[in-house]
Amino acid sequence: MSARREVLNVKGLSAGYGPMRVIHDLDFIVHSGERVGLVGLNGHGKTTLFYAIAGLTGWQRGSIKLNGVEVGRTRSQGPGRYTHEVVHHGLALIPQGDEIFHGLTVEEHLDSGAFTAKAWRERAERKKRILAIFPPLVKLMAIPVGRLSGGERRMVSIGRGLMAEASLFLVDEPSLGLAPKIGKGVLDALMSVDLGDSAMVIAEQNVALLEGRVDRVIGMHVGKLKGEASAALMLNAKREVH
Amino acid sequence: MDWAFVISNAIVLACIYGTLAIGISITWSSLGLINLAYGFIFALAGYGAWLTAQYLVPLLPAFTVGPVVLLGGILTGVLGGLLVCAIAFIPIHDKPNFTVRGLIATLAISLVGTQSLMWWFGPRSKNLPEIFGTGKLKLFDIVFTADKIGNVLTSILILVVVLHWMRSSRRGLEIRAMMMNPHAASIVGIGVRRTGFYVMAITGGLAGLAAVLLSQTYYIAPFNGLTPMIKGVSIALCGGLGSVRGAVIAALLLGFNEALTSVTLGGQYVLITQFLLIIVILLIRPRGIAGILDKAREA
Repeated sequence: MSARREVLNVKGLSAGYGPMRVIHDLDFIVHSGERVGLVGLNGHGKTTLFYAIAGLTGWQRGSIKLNGVEVGRTRSQGPGRYTHEVVHHGLALIPQGDEIFHGLTVEEHLDSGAFTAKAWRERAERKKRILAIFPPLVKLMAIPVGRLSGGERRMVSIGRGLMAEASLFLVDEPSLGLAPKIGKGVLDALMSVDLGDSAMVIAEQNVALLEGRVDRVIGMHVGKLKGEASAALMLNAKREVH
Repeated sequence: MDWAFVISNAIVLACIYGTLAIGISITWSSLGLINLAYGFIFALAGYGAWLTAQYLVPLLPAFTVGPVVLLGGILTGVLGGLLVCAIAFIPIHDKPNFTVRGLIATLAISLVGTQSLMWWFGPRSKNLPEIFGTGKLKLFDIVFTADKIGNVLTSILILVVVLHWMRSSRRGLEIRAMMMNPHAASIVGIGVRRTGFYVMAITGGLAGLAAVLLSQTYYIAPFNGLTPMIKGVSIALCGGLGSVRGAVIAALLLGFNEALTSVTLGGQYVLITQFLLIIVILLIRPRGIAGILDKAREA
């Protein structure tokens, strides 16, 4: 790993929807080349944290630095209004529950993930790389995503995120709603991605799937980050969260 | 009954109304905006074409009249679309309850705009030159006039170009992605506002095209955008909002209905039979004709 660089630096972030405050004064740093597991129960703010970084929450306040560029801002409305700018600064969000375009084919779907100019030029090559990670997609390239099964959709959704020229990948619940075996396959694929200079944060409820495979694990509890453990201390971290 | 006449009329109407319906359908499904100012853009583009014909065409050689007038109409339509986007989409698209606000904003633009046209150009209707010439073509004992053939060919050509562009280009991919899932579109980095301008420019251009083509049969007046817009909206609904193929089929159905009704019952009953037909279709297929075509599961 070359010099560790701060890919993401979140300071004093609060965010929520309407009168509800989901995230409370949160600080969070991710370095380059790092795989971070974010564990916690339902409704404790994992997704909201990701959404806040992408500017998709109802309101937010606090500093979010992505590759040293300030992308957080205090705002009270307009969820999603600045999301495309954040994406241009190097964020790839792989959302929970497959936000897919049901009428686009798998290939068009992957193309739509290559949004920055550089990624768009290299999209043929990038697609090849994604297909190497998810071989089952090769046969499905010309089929509308709406006709795929849940596991295949998850692959498409993750593939779309990995197409991006991003320095920070936020993966939200990659195994949610999948059969255990398929979920494990998806996680294996995520672990096999060569991060290079970028970083990846994986939110996951099934801690066993992350065990020993991420660089550190952070617990999330009622909108705050609790405890931090290296992969070796996994089980302690798990107990602390519950 | 003269079936050839009915069918040729039906196809001409279907092409023109289908163009409008596709414009309305694309706007609604990608921006979530029910563009009630579409009739105003239509009328504005008609006047744009008329001004082009009045002031620009005399300076040009005769054979360029058709393309130049058509282009004048389309470009005015594009400008009208951008204007509506800047006033009724950009400032309010991320505010709560945008659908209703957008509806009211576009309705206001439509009312103000048509009254301004009335004030500026006066209530007298204008005529465009016959851009497709006055020739006739006889085929299988049926006489096709040049304006009918021109209307059909031009609208099909431009629709094919637009749809091909939406299928193959990057901007088209953005627009289609936004039509299917705006939330996911912003996640992959598609800027809603920039795409909004593209969409409104294209749909405005389609309105301009329809305005010039329809003016070959009718005339240009401040309020003549209203009926085509109502027909466009109902065809878009009937075809299933957001579906281009559905809109084309619905346009053919309703165009045929209109031509048939005006021959058998009389022109004043067109809207009655048309809405009866739409009600029947929507009772059977609540999602419109697209519900039959769509093979992908929702969500």
